[in-house]
Amino acid sequence: MASIHLDQIGHSYGTAVYALEKTDMHFEDGKTYALLGPSGCGKTTMLNIISGLLTPSDGRVLLGGTDVTRTRTAERNIAQVFQFPVVYQSKTVFENLAFPLHCRGWDRSRIATRVAEIADLLGLTSRLSQSARRLTADEKQLISLGRGLVRNDVAALLMDEPLTVIDPHMKFDLRRRIKQANDQTRHTVVYVTHDQNEAMTFADEVLVMSAGRVVQRGTPQQLFEAPRNLYVGNFIGSPGMNFVRAERLDGDLRLDGVPLVGADRCRGIAPDAEIVLGIRPEHIAFAQGEELGVPASIVSAQDHGSLLVVDVAVGSDRLRMKVRRDVSFPAGQARLRVSSDQVRLYVDGVLVN
Amino acid sequence: MSLILDTLHLSHNGEAHLDGLSASFARGSLTTVLGRTLAGKTTLMRAIAGLQRIDSGTMERDGQAFGTLPAWQRDVAMVYQQFINYPHLNVFDNIAFPLRKRRLPEVDVRQRVESVLSMVGLSNFAGRKPSALSGGQQQRVALARALVRKADILLLDEPLVNLDYKLREQLREEFRGLLTSQSDGTVIYNTTEPAEAMMLGDRIIVMHQGRILQTGTPAEVFERPANTLVAGIVNDPPMTILSGRLDHGRIVFDGGVELAASAHLKNLPHGLYRFGIRATEIEPSEGRGIPGRVTFSEVSGSETFVHVETPFGEAVMQLEGVHQVTDGSQIGLSLAPERLFAFAADGEGALLRAPGQGEN
Amino acid sequence: MLSTLKYIAVVLWSAFVVAPLLWALTTSFKTANGVTGGPTYLPYIGFEPSLDGWRSLFGGAGGIDIVRPYMDSLIVTSSASLISIVLGTLAAYGLSRFEYRAGFVKNTDIIFFFISQRIMPPIVLAIPFFLMLQFLGLLDTKIGLILVYVALLLPIAVWIMVDFFDGVPRQIDEMAMLDGCTPFEAFWRIVLPNSMPGILVASMFCVIFGWNDFFFAFTLTFTDTQLLPVAVVSLNSSVTPWWSLSASALVSVAPLILIAIFVERLLSRGTLAGAIR
Repeated sequence: MASIHLDQIGHSYGTAVYALEKTDMHFEDGKTYALLGPSGCGKTTMLNIISGLLTPSDGRVLLGGTDVTRTRTAERNIAQVFQFPVVYQSKTVFENLAFPLHCRGWDRSRIATRVAEIADLLGLTSRLSQSARRLTADEKQLISLGRGLVRNDVAALLMDEPLTVIDPHMKFDLRRRIKQANDQTRHTVVYVTHDQNEAMTFADEVLVMSAGRVVQRGTPQQLFEAPRNLYVGNFIGSPGMNFVRAERLDGDLRLDGVPLVGADRCRGIAPDAEIVLGIRPEHIAFAQGEELGVPASIVSAQDHGSLLVVDVAVGSDRLRMKVRRDVSFPAGQARLRVSSDQVRLYVDGVLVN
Repeated sequence: MSLILDTLHLSHNGEAHLDGLSASFARGSLTTVLGRTLAGKTTLMRAIAGLQRIDSGTMERDGQAFGTLPAWQRDVAMVYQQFINYPHLNVFDNIAFPLRKRRLPEVDVRQRVESVLSMVGLSNFAGRKPSALSGGQQQRVALARALVRKADILLLDEPLVNLDYKLREQLREEFRGLLTSQSDGTVIYNTTEPAEAMMLGDRIIVMHQGRILQTGTPAEVFERPANTLVAGIVNDPPMTILSGRLDHGRIVFDGGVELAASAHLKNLPHGLYRFGIRATEIEPSEGRGIPGRVTFSEVSGSETFVHVETPFGEAVMQLEGVHQVTDGSQIGLSLAPERLFAFAADGEGALLRAPGQGEN
Repeated sequence: MLSTLKYIAVVLWSAFVVAPLLWALTTSFKTANGVTGGPTYLPYIGFEPSLDGWRSLFGGAGGIDIVRPYMDSLIVTSSASLISIVLGTLAAYGLSRFEYRAGFVKNTDIIFFFISQRIMPPIVLAIPFFLMLQFLGLLDTKIGLILVYVALLLPIAVWIMVDFFDGVPRQIDEMAMLDGCTPFEAFWRIVLPNSMPGILVASMFCVIFGWNDFFFAFTLTFTDTQLLPVAVVSLNSSVTPWWSLSASALVSVAPLILIAIFVERLLSRGTLAGAIR
């Protein structure tokens, strides 16, 4: 196990545009990180630089403090799980898991103990004597993971969209087993995905990426509660954060005339700056009784099951709100209650305060 | 009802993919077919399209049986999971292909293709080859080619499943608008995601192992799932099902936890039941309620799903927002008694009472 | 530094490949004196250039008339290749897309049956072919030779094209059928235009084999029909006419070089890119 340090790393595939812009990144020992972003954002490039499949055009890669920039993948002692499961079809599950240890010349009894441990961790014990050929895709993916974990001295575990080819209803089970395995082994893990659910479930810290840059790095909670810019606000959450322009009147920030945020939170913002309010759909509700609310008209409602996603118009802006199925709400006009302390302020697209 | 399928059977290598399936579809309606992988959804579409031959059964369109017609004589368009376009034709020619095949005047072809291109937002990409487009754009081209024909039957087989999470969310809404513009045809849309099925469909068909478990409006299927299996399929995360006993107006779980049965369950006969409750109706409670141990917590973008092992079965609780819940910690769950579903304890677990049902 | 090394390697390799051709080119302009007088490379300086070698190819003294064998070779090779590609592509499409069954014989068995034709060494096939052509009265005819070449080339064409069609997503044909094409139209209008890389590869195999074959041409034709390789070899007499041999070798290899340049152009222009695979 080791920490990973990307020292002024950057990469371009021979063109002027950097697939990964110059950056300094530190991954702590024993923690799990997710690189999250749409396809083409540079997340796989970063992963391949760590694993050594790609030599960066700039900077150094340090593994546990040692410079490995020019070291070949095989010598970096890194375990990797890819999109498509890699298993030796002709071998049994046991032989698959034992293979890396055989290569290292471990003796038989030691291998048996270690393989049994890993099989137990991944819930593969009952499959050990089966041929790997007949397994389902999710089981094969577990074996790929197991082959990485079985070496107890791996420096880091890298996973590149390992759930992409897994059937949707098997994903849950696989997510759980991967997370449990991670929690117990405490490797340094870097996990690449486009799926916020996977990223936020596995990772201690998520790095949201866009166009070759890390736009925000934080815990899942931070990303949800305080997205640093409009991109992250929209990318995290389903549906993403609402953004509406606020009116500034007597220091207060108002939405359609109704004060939402007090003057104290605007301190330090230039008086003529344009402020955009970021409001999560989860933090908007219908005002009850005599409560003061932002006047809105209901445009449409989408049935998502337990929740409805309701489209409302406030002035010329459109907002999304989430409403529980059992809440009855009026058609046409309504008043909205917005939790003031959950509202975030953005100036020039960047979070302030 | 303009499309009627009657007791379709189709098996391949001795495995039944369609097992006596009957269904009917109205003109101008969008039906979503919801089911897990291998439920037979794709086979159903291929049978309707004529790409796979049924062993027995009949298919009728406006009273005309079409089950024996070859695929190219049926007026069916399809969008696949994979982004399937003609690689050697540019976007415009791809979309124009079905029209030119029907020998439409080139003026009409041009006008219709251009109108569809602007609908899917690809007007500026007409001259590109599909390989020079992103996945989302390729799937838009495939949809445009299916829309431009104004086909009588439009089939979409999990069209968004291979796209990035956020793009999927965006296209789902676009598709909703585009598909409802197909006023006269019949649209069938396969999905494994309950929210997608509910949001897009005028009607939902729940499929499992080549059979239809339930048909109804999204609200009907969601609020009155026919049995525990349907309840599992139409809820994401799946509905929690706990075994218990109804006894003198009390719900008793083995081990002594009791709840007062709310009005809708009171007049059920005493005995064993499976009680179902949605993840959104379970809340953490301090020291009371059903005791359990957290086995796993998942964070989606804006919700936290907590999986809890209880003495009566596994429960899933949904919390609003992003929360840190330590795996392995002890927790108490409180269930809202008025939100409980009662299913039969035996057989398929048929629905006996849903919340808000049977109160008098 | 690395690119300099690369260039040196490329230059060395080119020299290695081109040298024999240069040697053939100079030799073709030499006479007996020029050849036996030790290695010389520059005309007028090293040796006295002469067109005797080239003249001998067109009925000159001690030579042959190369025009007729050349035309025969062109006709036989192109006909055999064309027939093999057309039949092979159609057969391969069927084998790739439809399930055939005759008792326990399935698609994979049929494909193996095709390939197995090429397991036997040519010498084993020569006698049966000879007898069959004799029976049909097609010995020493172009048609007979074309038939034999088709029999030899078809397995290769089928094998290459089956592999290629298997890589073309089946949904593309299905989509075409849903768009109103019959299965043949789907093949003709959609699958075929996207299969050019495969057809090109298969054609190259066929043409190269047909053009270069000496063995079957030698055993199955005698006087009425004579293919280029046989004609070239027949130049060889007790005193080897190096100048004539060199000239004929250059003439024989020319079409293949033209094909190579053509294919290279297609590849580098990206005509084939963007198609499937």
